[in-house]
Amino acid sequence: MTPEIALFCVLGAPVLQALLVMLIPKPPGLRDLIHIGFSLVALGCAAYLMNAVAQHETARIVLARPLPNVDLAFAIDPLGALMAVVLTGLGVLHAVHAAGVARAKQEKAPARLLAFIALAMAGVTAVAFSANLFSLFVAYQALALAAFPLVAHRGDEEAQPAARAFLATLLASSIGLFLPAMIWTYSIAGALDFQAGGVLAGRVDPLTANVLLALYVMGIAMAAIPPMHSWLPASSNGPFPALVAIQALAVLPAGGIGVLKVATFVFGPAMRDAAIAAQVLIVLVGVGMIVAALIALSKQDIRERLAYSVMAQSLAVVMGALLALPAGLFAAALQIVALACAAATLLMAAGTTMAITGRSKVADYVGLGRVMPWTFAGFAIASASMIGMPPFAGAWAKLWLITAAAGSGLVWAAVLASIAAILTFTHLGPLAANAFAGRAPTDAFKRPDGASILLAAPVILAAAATLSLLVLADPLAVFLSPIWTPEGP
Amino acid sequence: MNGAYLELARAHAPLLMIVTPLVGAALMLISGPARMSWLIACAAAVFGAVIAVDFATVLLMQLTHPVAEVGVALFVDGIGVFAAALVAVVLALAIVAVGATLKESGASPAPLSPALMLAGAAGWTGALMTRDLIALFASVEAGWLAAVGLTAVNAVRDRTPLNGAFRMLTLGGAGSALMLLGIGMLGRAAGGFEIDALPLAQIRMPNLAGAGAALIVLGLCVKAGVAPLHAWSPVAIGRGGAMIALGVGTLGVLGALSVLTRFAAYAITAPEIGAGFSVALAGLGALSVVVGAVQAVGSRNLLRLSVYAGVSQAGCVLLSLALGSPAGFAAALMQLVAFAAASLAFYGGALAGRVHSLDMLNGYATRAPLASGAITAGALSLMGAPLTIGFLGRWRLVEAGVGAGWWWAAGLVIIASLAGVFYGGRLVERMYFRRANVTYAGEGGVWRVALAPALIAAIATIAIGLAPGALLNAAANASRLMTGLAP
Repeated sequence: MTPEIALFCVLGAPVLQALLVMLIPKPPGLRDLIHIGFSLVALGCAAYLMNAVAQHETARIVLARPLPNVDLAFAIDPLGALMAVVLTGLGVLHAVHAAGVARAKQEKAPARLLAFIALAMAGVTAVAFSANLFSLFVAYQALALAAFPLVAHRGDEEAQPAARAFLATLLASSIGLFLPAMIWTYSIAGALDFQAGGVLAGRVDPLTANVLLALYVMGIAMAAIPPMHSWLPASSNGPFPALVAIQALAVLPAGGIGVLKVATFVFGPAMRDAAIAAQVLIVLVGVGMIVAALIALSKQDIRERLAYSVMAQSLAVVMGALLALPAGLFAAALQIVALACAAATLLMAAGTTMAITGRSKVADYVGLGRVMPWTFAGFAIASASMIGMPPFAGAWAKLWLITAAAGSGLVWAAVLASIAAILTFTHLGPLAANAFAGRAPTDAFKRPDGASILLAAPVILAAAATLSLLVLADPLAVFLSPIWTPEGP
Repeated sequence: MNGAYLELARAHAPLLMIVTPLVGAALMLISGPARMSWLIACAAAVFGAVIAVDFATVLLMQLTHPVAEVGVALFVDGIGVFAAALVAVVLALAIVAVGATLKESGASPAPLSPALMLAGAAGWTGALMTRDLIALFASVEAGWLAAVGLTAVNAVRDRTPLNGAFRMLTLGGAGSALMLLGIGMLGRAAGGFEIDALPLAQIRMPNLAGAGAALIVLGLCVKAGVAPLHAWSPVAIGRGGAMIALGVGTLGVLGALSVLTRFAAYAITAPEIGAGFSVALAGLGALSVVVGAVQAVGSRNLLRLSVYAGVSQAGCVLLSLALGSPAGFAAALMQLVAFAAASLAFYGGALAGRVHSLDMLNGYATRAPLASGAITAGALSLMGAPLTIGFLGRWRLVEAGVGAGWWWAAGLVIIASLAGVFYGGRLVERMYFRRANVTYAGEGGVWRVALAPALIAAIATIAIGLAPGALLNAAANASRLMTGLAP
């Protein structure tokens, strides 16, 4: 196998997976086998590509040339390879969990649900491997369209307006802000290809750089920057497997990856010319993190609480990217990894809880850890990671972020991030603690026989993944260093 | 022997492009059964399309000079030949598409309607090949009156299109008067009626010439349904059948926009009037983009929605022309292709299942997946989604606008795309994510051959978006070849 074939497979496997799942909805066993099997194929290809990148190999596939000097192309680079491995790896766990939830809850139209989850995974993989701004834009739009049915899946009176709001926010911001920024970049640089060191470096004056940065960051609404974040709470109407895909594995990470790619490959050193916009956006992001964490505290439904909680964490990615230092960019990359692991764990745990107990209110979680110890062990570990407690993944990401903020002379940004972490503790810490400390509930569960291995194992494995950065942070810094500077962070 | 005939046909291609549909129309009227007349129409339209595409390919891709030195003197230029080929292809697809609905309006108009479509196309093609402004006026009137007639004869079951035909007649009459007056003024000021002389003419009275050119544009804007002069189009097309939608909404509007593009490309390069003319085009275009987008967002009738989306698209064409550069002209031609493809796919997909209102779209994807696919492709193109020809057209416009410093034009295009997201997204949601709440009457019909043109247009919408190199080259060459190529 060559890297080109692997790249084609990692992009194409989820699409084929979606088609097959739709074509073979029954028997459920075969459907789930296809779903999990193709997820494994995607993970295998992503791992191969990561190894190829580590060996300094290159690969690029061109699917079309819709404009002069602009290809619909995908290429491997350290950032894309890392994100693909993390997201497809978690995608395997999610595939198992989604199959379990679909069975346990007898979810409506499970084949459609699984198929669009696969398409969303294809979308985020395409975002990760996009070779230029145009491909990123196309993948971004495709991802928004693929995720729309996930939000609308229930088809009830709440789901339809939520799905419309979801799609309208994502498409309108990308067309209204991202697209003009992209065309402007094209008119300045004559090309849109990502390159280490930045497409715009040396080609743009400070005013243009500031405006472009604002357009890009606000236009990539998947990163959930206020006020473009309304799609995220709207998406919390979806079923739990859809929420995992949207908030942990596909849509939200795609926003972070998009901002990181723009900061790294489009701006590069030109970020210094956009310092004013960057600082304004950092203020917005920092305040947004705090407000989101506060709103999360006020929410009693676990879906809504987790939606705002992951939003607060996702904004840390944007803050890292905007700090315009290698350390900040590395912090952003680590935060995407940490958030994906923790958010996937939390949402899968909440999904398991919903499927087994029928409970979705925060107050009803008290004591559940005593009867569902594995699930809530995962929940507690993921909460600790979200808060930033060592030795879990979130701690290393936040450490780098605060270091980068201090290194930029923006100590107040570090303070904002720290306040957000404390608030995250207030809305997740007691919840996890009470699940174990409280008295076990005595009323009957929806499924008294408890969680199957399909529901519990992915939670535990995803929680274990949050420990990975304890040993992988330094190798990852070396692995990622070519994307921002030859010297590394 | 065959090669000699082919060369002869190529040498007289411009004439054949006009005569073939006219002969086809005449043969239809004397042929017997409706099906027979439709087959004749198909043959004439396809033959005309083959000639036009071949001619355009030879001229624009190989940049050769194939025009006959003998015969009827027609004036061939880049935009004319590009647009004429587009009109011919759209005519062929439209004629094939209306085959299934020939008798919907009764037996008597059955052969008449395609004949009027052929005659109308001949009129628009003539206007794209003429040098003299008076001849241009006559050709435009032929095309327009054929469209009025087509609307009137198809208003049998529902009288609303008759009202539309009346509006077309009155508004179009006013437009014709303005156009004729404008031609007189421009001819007087420029010292002649030859369209290709405008860029080089020593215009003695620039104000008179400018006013004349503006009146001609206004007259053409009425016929192209450019806002705010589009009062006829939603009435005529919104309640009409396939004949009116495809014959008037697609072919007629495309023809008028093409002629407008060609005339504007000459007028805007005239030094004395160019700047003022550009402002007028930009103002009209901006208004049309905004009005069309707003009306499309508020529309509950699918055909009207498509009409308004077309109005917005026509605004984009005018904005492209207002740039007054080869890049702008090329962008306008790309917009014309995008309009034609999206319109054919949209109307074809909707009318295959007799879908008129948005409510009837609920669950359409389950009942008619191919027709829904066609509508989806059309809607995606109208909203300027990436990898569709609509995206390409708008990209070229924004790029040309940014190059000229017209940021506001780029902003308007973005507004049009945002509106497209709203109404296009609404259509997609209804088709794919809602269940049918009405009894559907045309289930079997959606698999008919008549759906083929809509599917071809839908595929073209995506395929050209993926690999537009040849079309972009052709449009660029067409915009460069604006000097006379014919004897």
